[in-house]
Amino acid sequence: MLQFGRFALMRAAMAFITLLIVSFVVFSLMELVPGDCAERYLSYKQTQGVAISIADIESERVRLGLDRPFITRWSTWVVGAFQGDFGDSCILRVNIADLLGAKFWISLAIAMSSLLLAYSIAVPVGIIAASSRNAVLNNSLRIFSYLGLAMPNFLLALMIMLVATVYFGETLTGLFSAEYRDADWSWAKFVDLLKHAWLPIFILGWSATAFALQTVRALMSDEIGKLYVTAAKARGLYGAKLLWRYPARHALAPIVNSLGFDLNRVFNELPIVALILTLSEAGSLLIDALAKSNDQQLAGAIIFLLTASIVTLNFLTDILLAIMDPRIRKSILR
Amino acid sequence: MSAKTMKSLQQDKETYFTASQSQLIWARFKKQRAAMIAAGVLVFIIVIGILAPALSPYDPTIAGRDRDYLNGAPQIPQFCDKNGCSLRPFIHGVERTRSAETNFRWVEEPNEDIRHYIAFFVEGSEFDLFGVIPMDTHLFGLQGDEKMIHLFGTDSAGKDIFSRTLHAIFTSLQIGTLGVLISFVLALIIGGVSGYYGGRLDSVIQMVTDAVRTIPAIPLVMSVAAFVPTEWTSEQRFFMIAIILGLIGWPTLARRVRTHLLTERNQEYVLAAQLCGASSPHIIRRHLLPSFTSYIIVDLVISFPYMVLTETGLSFIGLGLKDPVNSLGVMLQNVTKADVLLNYQWYFIPVLFFVALVMAFVFVGDGLRDAADPYSDSKK
Repeated sequence: MLQFGRFALMRAAMAFITLLIVSFVVFSLMELVPGDCAERYLSYKQTQGVAISIADIESERVRLGLDRPFITRWSTWVVGAFQGDFGDSCILRVNIADLLGAKFWISLAIAMSSLLLAYSIAVPVGIIAASSRNAVLNNSLRIFSYLGLAMPNFLLALMIMLVATVYFGETLTGLFSAEYRDADWSWAKFVDLLKHAWLPIFILGWSATAFALQTVRALMSDEIGKLYVTAAKARGLYGAKLLWRYPARHALAPIVNSLGFDLNRVFNELPIVALILTLSEAGSLLIDALAKSNDQQLAGAIIFLLTASIVTLNFLTDILLAIMDPRIRKSILR
Repeated sequence: MSAKTMKSLQQDKETYFTASQSQLIWARFKKQRAAMIAAGVLVFIIVIGILAPALSPYDPTIAGRDRDYLNGAPQIPQFCDKNGCSLRPFIHGVERTRSAETNFRWVEEPNEDIRHYIAFFVEGSEFDLFGVIPMDTHLFGLQGDEKMIHLFGTDSAGKDIFSRTLHAIFTSLQIGTLGVLISFVLALIIGGVSGYYGGRLDSVIQMVTDAVRTIPAIPLVMSVAAFVPTEWTSEQRFFMIAIILGLIGWPTLARRVRTHLLTERNQEYVLAAQLCGASSPHIIRRHLLPSFTSYIIVDLVISFPYMVLTETGLSFIGLGLKDPVNSLGVMLQNVTKADVLLNYQWYFIPVLFFVALVMAFVFVGDGLRDAADPYSDSKK
């Protein structure tokens, strides 16, 4: 138990350091882009007909604390970020935490459900494919996998939209029906969300399924040829019971570990798919923040949040693996 | 067994044992049917891309537009129609009408009595083949200048989609190559330092690499690309995007370089070379680098399609390349409009080429990976 506690603590510390590095990278990038928040805000004001002088920009800089040294600003930002406070958006002048709020959780929920979908298909199918010698099944799965890899999600989304518009006359876009968009959360709104969310979940899950299927199959066919499986067979075990009790348990451990990377991949696809399907969650907010208003504060916050959820997931899967496999929790303490 | 076959067997063995690594990889690669087919497709697409200006009948930019055929449907060359057959392929003339009945949209009506014959090696707009040889001969086109042929139709400005597709393939190949090269150099430096020196420096570099790898690349790239000034020329944008792609690609590659170096560094042959008095640069150049170049090439091929796809995605949302440059993403920018989805589905034809290109790269990469792995035979 003590050992496990030390392992968990160690992992938590590593996750924390990773996040620190990430925050540094993100913050520096946001600093490197030309122009700062004060200029952005005031240039926006100028388009509204207010005369702006250099002195105004300077005083705005002082007000926002942009005149302090880089490290000080970074540390304030990081301390705030870990408490969920990202300051105000450059242009909208709203607290970013309020602005993102539910949108971020919806994005995360969509991403996680697409991963869930991917693995609930990939694990059983991959195991069956690895254990069967059916050439037709194996080859068609291979082609499906390659298609999943070669067809980026946004092309798939476009194709689905094309087919839907041509044959069904519906565009299948958006995340809420009009009447629920600004309503408070309720059961009806949730059901409405589900009605719209299946499509992005399916599209994002598509290539994740292809990836996962390949990994499960490869790992499983490595394990299945090993001696302990033959030994179990010799003892009279067969079929699903054999597969689940012996090779699958070994083959699936690396898969649990790869969840974080899959989440990363889904987050990569999310903004573009969101744009095509005109979803209104964090991904499309990111595009808004970038393409339309150059809002570096908001963009930095979103990227930090996305990365933080990946790091958290990595941490959780590490802990989960350690619970399942004592060898892992010993490995770190060599 | 006769002496002759014994001798040829001996020779086979000799060639096998003295074969260089690239020869071995090629021998194993040849055995994989899918990868060989994919390699054929890949070479074909690359040749198309390089020869794009000569193969495409028109200039892909606004200079080559067809004023009279905006949003025009694909024209498929025919050999026969109601007026009989001809040995030379031809297309029918088109008449455009617009009225209240068609909602004031231009509607094309093929006129089967007019034939435009397709000619080969016609003279058209001038271009520089491979960027240096000035030419004005195109593979095919229509005789005379007043009518144009559009195999894949035209877009809303009247630009020929077939010509644009071919040029877009070339753009994708260029940007992929540049991106891969940049990430390769970065990976070689960072991974090389990390792997060769090892120890504490290695741990720190690995930690940073891992942290950078957890940041979702596309949102990050989007945020950087969004701040590229709009007044930049298309060439500047092009290099910017290539550099960005290179910057995302390096962590994975750097890790592989480091792993190879770490394992190879402690091999006996390196020790032997050291004992013979070889200097570090000599060992790196003559022993370490050749030991894993094949793996690195495989990694480069595998990472290529992701570069292409990232560029496509970025251009698609308007943060990548911009109009005078042709790329798949640029071509797809306007297709989400209901008008296009309902009426002009030929905008999607280029997608097929790109799926083929990416698939070919994935298959070839997989085949190369299997071929470069000396144990792949025993696995099966």
